[in-house]
Formats: sequence, structure tokens, C-alpha cells
Amino acid sequence: MAQSAAGAGLARRAYAFLLRPEASVILVSVALVIYFEIANRNFLTAANAQTLSQFVAAPVIIACGEIMLLICREIDLSVGQVFALAPFLMENVNDLGIPEPIAIVAALAVCALIGLMIGLITIGLRVPSFITTLGMLFLITGLTLTISRGYPANTSGGPILTGIMGEWAYSEIVWALVIVGVMHVVLRHTRWGLHTVAIGGNIVASAEAGIAINRIKIANFVLTSTLGGLCGLLEAFRVGSIDPLAGGSNIMFLGVASGVIGGTAIAGGAGTIIGGLVGGIMLGVMQDGFTLQGINAFTFDIIIGAAILIAMIANIHLARLRGGQQA
Amino acid sequence: MTVVGREAIRAVNVVKRFGSVTALNGVSMLVARGETLGILGDNGAGKSTLMKILTGYHQPDSGQVYVDGRPVQLSSVDAARALGIECVYQDLALVNGLSIYHNMFLNRELLWGGPLKLLDHKTMRRRAAAALEEIGVSVPSVELEVGRLSGGQRQAIAVARAVSQDARILLLDEPLAAMGAREARLIIDLIDRLRARGDIAIVMIAHNYAQTLEICDRVILVQHGEITFESQAASTSAEQLLEIVRREYRAARAG
Repeated sequence: MAQSAAGAGLARRAYAFLLRPEASVILVSVALVIYFEIANRNFLTAANAQTLSQFVAAPVIIACGEIMLLICREIDLSVGQVFALAPFLMENVNDLGIPEPIAIVAALAVCALIGLMIGLITIGLRVPSFITTLGMLFLITGLTLTISRGYPANTSGGPILTGIMGEWAYSEIVWALVIVGVMHVVLRHTRWGLHTVAIGGNIVASAEAGIAINRIKIANFVLTSTLGGLCGLLEAFRVGSIDPLAGGSNIMFLGVASGVIGGTAIAGGAGTIIGGLVGGIMLGVMQDGFTLQGINAFTFDIIIGAAILIAMIANIHLARLRGGQQA
Repeated sequence: MTVVGREAIRAVNVVKRFGSVTALNGVSMLVARGETLGILGDNGAGKSTLMKILTGYHQPDSGQVYVDGRPVQLSSVDAARALGIECVYQDLALVNGLSIYHNMFLNRELLWGGPLKLLDHKTMRRRAAAALEEIGVSVPSVELEVGRLSGGQRQAIAVARAVSQDARILLLDEPLAAMGAREARLIIDLIDRLRARGDIAIVMIAHNYAQTLEICDRVILVQHGEITFESQAASTSAEQLLEIVRREYRAARAG
């Protein structure tokens, strides 16, 4: 009797877990890991864990910003270009004889300013952020190419700094997890996060309640650009060289896809940071797994694209099942 | 005319024009604490304009509004709110994706002490539940997303929020629109309980004559920006009101 009650409790909890937006993605990820481990014995190894963490880290960091923007019904298409610009900013400041740590802060400050600019244009001039950041995407690409003259460069800095900033094998994933932790608290336990959800859910009610809609939106643009810049710096230190064409729309869409696969509503009003992490892990597992399997580079994109589509369709329909809410 | 309690809000000779259109042409009205006033009238008759003047959304071209007997300038929604005037719109008020307690504390969230300024979910939950219980609104849990509630429950939450934010002059915009009988009963009972407290004045805009007569102590009929009929609800029938409106239609057709 008591046993069956405990069993029912467990079943209820399992059911509640399955109704969470992240649950389906976690299940699919676990299934993928099992599949890749069976298909290729090298999947669950220390060496591959390192590779996998590198596939996961960057999209997850980008996702943390994009999720905040998507929830309040905005988007930043140019974050991948800020990603490429940031290391060149840092090196240029460094070349002036300014120490690397300060150069890093300066580069991030410029990224934050770009976010502020995007926010001010979007809010102040009432240009949809899709358009604002589409323009910024080309503008910043040109800026990066001009600064770099189109050539890659090498990163500088002492071993400790470069280690922390991405050279140590697991530093980027540690950064990603810390950012996920902080942003989860911001979204769930601060007024900033709560108001971001409120704005995306019902902008009229938010305005009625006196929420500072513009300030919240601008803060989210600044956040996204800054995280994009930070992510670009981490990748540059990891690889040890700076590529003017790094990141780009690819990393931006991986970030957005991580968020949406993890349950962030593209129409705003709902989403979780943990979902973004889980979505990023699923994408990383797929990229890494198919790479290990040695799938042809051309078919690779077909598989990834189809998988993203399936994941998103599944999530939208699961969301309907969950409560009739549209994702 | 018997007045239940102390005078809460009074409008005297309010005129409002939009360009060449006169929306309100010298409207005077009074609501007391513990009283419910129904404003009836056709679309475009001016009842929404009157409501928007009382909420501070529009400013009258001439005339004066008094709160607690003192002349006031309702220069903005915030100014009206500071005087305890709160308007509840049926579908605009709540964020469906947020829980009941988050909605009730929207932009007035309680925070833990300390530099991090984290949300105090626990106290908000407790106080929201207490506020709902106080005015007799029952929900399974304050953690429920508002989007999962019925229209009547949502309306009740919105009213509860206004009251818990110290609204003492409560304006309800079509509180029973698009509601089934059972849903409507929920709101009618809630309005009755609020009236019984005696410290809240309620003004509601409505279309349904029979329902409004049942809920309100007094009704006024607005036509062409003027109050053409005013009476205690108990001594008025829906047929009586319909006849007045019918006469207007006939006149319009003849003219």
C-alpha cells in the first residue's frame, strides 16, 4: 500500500519532469549520447569530453544573451560579429602598450557600447531589432575587416591570463557554466528577469504597471553584445589566434537555436537559461558525435539542420500539450 | 437620493472635446464609498471617455473632478493612482505567462535585504494568498500561471491586485464581458463583498442592462455625451432603460 503510494508519487514527479520544457531535450540528448557511444567507442572518453565541452560552451554563452532578448521579444543578429570584433579590439588596445587585462576590459566595454547603440536605435528610433542588428551585422563585419586588414593575428598575454581566458582545456566550459548560473539567477530571482518575462508576455500590462520597458530591453541588448564579445575573446585565447571571420551568423544561430530548442518562445514571454544550456548540449553532442562518426562535411549540415528542425517542431508541439500555450 | 457612505469621487460639468466632436457635454456624477455605480450607454456615447477622465488618461476641457470632496487635477494615470483611483481592464491587466503572485506584485516586487536585491518569492506568495483570501477569491495555488485561469478568475485576480494596492476608487471596464453565467457570478459576488467593506467606491462600465441593475446600487445612462437617465437600481427595470434607448434609435431614424 505504502509502496504503491510512493510509486504513484514517483510517477507523478516523473510526469511533472516530463512536462518541463527542458525534459524532452534532456531525454533526446541522453539517447544521442547512448547512440554515439554504441556507434563509436570513442565518444565517452576524456579526450572527447574536452572536444564536446568546446562545442557546447560558445553557443551556450551566446544563448544566455539571446534568451533574454527573445523573452522580451527582441533579437540580436549581430552578436556573432561582435564575437569576431572583440579580440581585435583587445589586441589593438594591447598594442598601445596597455596591459592585457585592461585591454580585455576595454574590449568588453566597447562591446557593451555596441549593445547600447543597438538598444538606443531600436528603442529610440523604433526600428525593429531584427533590422537594427541586421545592419549592425554588416557594419561590424566591415569594421573588423578594416581593423584587421583581413589578416588573422596572434593573441598575446601571459600563461595564467590566457589559461583563465580560454587556453586551459576546460576554461571555456567553466566560464559558460558560471554565466549560466548567474543568468539563471538573474532571470528567475531578480526584477530584471521577471520584468523581461512580463514585457514579452504582455507589454501593455507591463507599461500599465509602470515597468521601465525601455531600460530593461536596452540592458538585454548590452548584455548580449558583452557576452558575445567575451565569448569571442575566450575562443581567440583557446585557439591562440584571432580570425576576422570567426563566429559570425553561425555562432549567433547556434545560440538562438540552443535557446529555442530548450524551450524559449520565439514570440517572447517564456524561456529558461537552463533550457538554453540543455539545448546547447544537445547541439554540441550532435556536432561532436557526427564529427566522430566521420560524416561527410556536406551531409553534416543536412543532418544538423534537420535535427534542429525536428527538435524545434517537437518542442512547439510539446508546449501545446503542456498547456495550450503557443511557443 | 440616498448615499451609502462618504463621498468618494465627484465630477461636475465635465466637458471633453476631440477636435470637432464633443465626447462629453457637461457630465456630472457622484459615487460614495460602499456604493457601486453602473455607467450604461451605447458605443461612442461617451462612457469610455468619462472613465478615462476619471483614470487620468484624458484631461477634461472644462469641469472639475473632486476626490473625497477636494478638487483634484487628474493629470496622469499615476496622479490618479496616487489618489487611490485604479482601473481594471479585462484583458490588458495581467501577464499570462507569469504566476498569480508575480502578477499581483508586478513592479512592486518584494526583495530580500542585501546588495543582490533578489526577489522574495516566499513572502510574495504568502501575501498574495492572504490578499486573495481576504476578499474571498479562491485559486488552487498562487503559483499557477495566470494564463491557465478562466476569464472570471483572471478578472478576480486583477481586481484583487487593485484592491491590495490600496485602490479605494475602483473603476471596472466591462467586468463581465464575454463571461458565462458561472464566471459572471464569481465577479458579481466579489463586487458585492467589496461593496460590503464600505471603504471602496466602485464604478463600472457595462452593456448588459439586467446584469448591471443586479450588481449596482445606482445606474446612469450616457447618450451623446450627456447623462440622460439616473436612478437607483432597485427602482429601475431593464425594460425602462431599453425604452429610453429605443426612443433614441427611433429619433435617429426619423432625423
